[in-house]
Amino acid sequence: MKPMKPIPAPIDAKRLTRRHFLKKSSLATLMGLSTAPDVVTDTGAGPDVPDAPRETARCAVIGFGSWGRELAATLQRMPEAEIVAVCDTYGVMRKRAEREVPGAATHEDYRVILDDPAVQAVFVATPTHRHRDIVVAALATGKHVYCEAPLAATLDDARTIARAARDAGDRLVFQAGLQYRFDPQYQSVSGFIRSGALGKPVLARAQYHIKNSWRRTSPNAAREKELNWRLDPAHSPGLIGELGIHQLDTARWILENRPMAVNGFGNLILWDDGRTLPDTIQTIFEFPGGVHLFFDATLASSFDGRYELFSGSDSTIMLRDSKGWMFKEVDAPMIGWEVYARKDKFYKEQGIALVANATQLDAQGQDPTADDPNAETPVFYAVKDFLDNVFYGPFESSAGYLQGFEATVMALKANEAVLGNQRIAFDEAWFSLD
Amino acid sequence: METVRLACRAMATRFELVLQGDDAVRLRAAGEEALAEIERLEARLSFYRASSDIGRINAGAGHAPVPVAPPVFHLLQQAARLHGLTDGAFDPTVGPLMRCWGFAGGAGHRPAPAALTAARALTGMHRVHLDPDRYTVAFERPGMLLDLGGIGKGYAVDEAVALLREAGVERALLHGGTSTVYALGHPEAAWRVALPHPATEAPLAVVSLTDEALSVSACRGKAFREDDLTYGHVLDPRTGHPVRGAVLAAVAAPSATATDALATALLVLGQDGLAAVEGYDDVRALIVMEDETTGTFEVLHQNLPPAPCALRQTLFPKTHTP
Repeated sequence: MKPMKPIPAPIDAKRLTRRHFLKKSSLATLMGLSTAPDVVTDTGAGPDVPDAPRETARCAVIGFGSWGRELAATLQRMPEAEIVAVCDTYGVMRKRAEREVPGAATHEDYRVILDDPAVQAVFVATPTHRHRDIVVAALATGKHVYCEAPLAATLDDARTIARAARDAGDRLVFQAGLQYRFDPQYQSVSGFIRSGALGKPVLARAQYHIKNSWRRTSPNAAREKELNWRLDPAHSPGLIGELGIHQLDTARWILENRPMAVNGFGNLILWDDGRTLPDTIQTIFEFPGGVHLFFDATLASSFDGRYELFSGSDSTIMLRDSKGWMFKEVDAPMIGWEVYARKDKFYKEQGIALVANATQLDAQGQDPTADDPNAETPVFYAVKDFLDNVFYGPFESSAGYLQGFEATVMALKANEAVLGNQRIAFDEAWFSLD
Repeated sequence: METVRLACRAMATRFELVLQGDDAVRLRAAGEEALAEIERLEARLSFYRASSDIGRINAGAGHAPVPVAPPVFHLLQQAARLHGLTDGAFDPTVGPLMRCWGFAGGAGHRPAPAALTAARALTGMHRVHLDPDRYTVAFERPGMLLDLGGIGKGYAVDEAVALLREAGVERALLHGGTSTVYALGHPEAAWRVALPHPATEAPLAVVSLTDEALSVSACRGKAFREDDLTYGHVLDPRTGHPVRGAVLAAVAAPSATATDALATALLVLGQDGLAAVEGYDDVRALIVMEDETTGTFEVLHQNLPPAPCALRQTLFPKTHTP
């Protein structure tokens, strides 16, 4: 007997439509008909390139630090994307871009990219506090925008970005860099949990542990100061903002609620090198129904890395490295398929591997209990969704301005709680765009 | 003078980094970025990760050209050049042969002749087509495999060193699993690295390095006996058979990417290995041969251990130094 697909996927009419278009597009590619966009209505182009025949989306990456490089490398393996320009204020990074993105123009000033009508979409991966001006100007010049999370370092800036994205929403795609929303494994587990797999939700826990000073250096003093924005209390969203925001967003998504309050604790324990930013934090987010999310992050110990865990009266589900496991209570009802699923041992606990797309793998003759051999990185799926939306949208994104804004507000307020070692009750007005 | 030590786990080994300078905080920051680069490259180059460029090449390049990131493409071009330079003794497509001999995760066994013929037809870097206009990789036929295990660590070391230089580091020593080491600058006269004798582990030579890499390959580990013959896990990609080449090969040169691949190749080439590098004055090499009947060792070398002489020809121009 073959294992059954464990997780029912929620059906979303818009996504179905888009997949349908994509199918046509890839069939056309297969047949050598490269003018695939003929099958869809042209709604995604910026105003300056009305009738250009479009095989690829012309993209620019603004900010070529470690994450900008990752975005560029992701775009480079997508045939539907072309990187036409890279912007960084630092010469060394532009040199690196010339090596890694041959053929792309490099610029010191992002406005040159925004003034170029050939650029359709920009990926903003600058320091967080630099997002606002770039994103607002990019939308104003008709560019689709992929903006890294958190959206901004202040609530006002985040609201300005979200408003601009909302107001351009009928013409332009805006996506926040909450990439786990697009990872099939996360989508699958999220649907599974929302279908009641935990029983009664009890608590959630997430951690991000690394051993790293978070400091950067450069022979150029001005550059070094700019590079260390994450340690600068004036600009830094802290560990919860820069590391925890994705996990916080996952909890908000899976628990289908916003937290009502956050309690924060922060200490500087190991990296006592003149900084004031805590290197170790704990936060407790109070969700409705008495369910709390405990999130802790440290730069001083790497033990057990990074994961998210959701516990309920029937089972606990853990997400780590884009993989999922279910740990069942002995008195929990049988689901059926768990008999056939792969089991992984975690000390005395037995984790039932949750494999997204199990039936698809089975149909392709691949082992449905093994991890997906075709799996991509979360950011790949996120960028792919963004580009689909650029071609065929704009549709409402799973990580649009609202999700991006909400996650940013939660993270920034949590950082405030950490810095003040205090409890902050969330005010509805903070989440309002009006 | 401050000394900072850092380490990370990547590419199934341990990378260690020693930095020297005036400011420990900044040295650590530079070192962390360099090690993060190695971890990033692992995600790009790993044979075992489906989402790596190599994983995607192996899954798809037998059917259609696979686009890869330009830096990975350039690395594959370097691998192809090293394949040519060593007359095929360095070959990152040796995977099907390793599987055929049972060396991929097993203790090894003698394959059936038909299986060996089939595996040989799937081996050869010359069967990997690199399109420099599109940055795509295609295999001549399905079933081929690329595995950068013999060059990836060296490449990672080179890239990490480039970041150290960009960050202003002037003195550092970085090694990956003790098989490849790069010496950036020098503490006094030079970084001095000892090579162990393959039998006694006593120092066989002490190599002085300044802005130079050193890689060592040794014929140790997996082997099996059948019909009174010992089969080691070093396969000659050209014949498809295990070789009794050298028992140890060491190569020093300005590029760790090159030394990593050349050390493997010289182990395969044995006695003939020095001929492959003799035209390059920035390459020093040492090969230890063993006479199994007498149990004696013979050492052949090119400019090693002597100090490097003036450059006549450079194997790899330094394109990554800012």
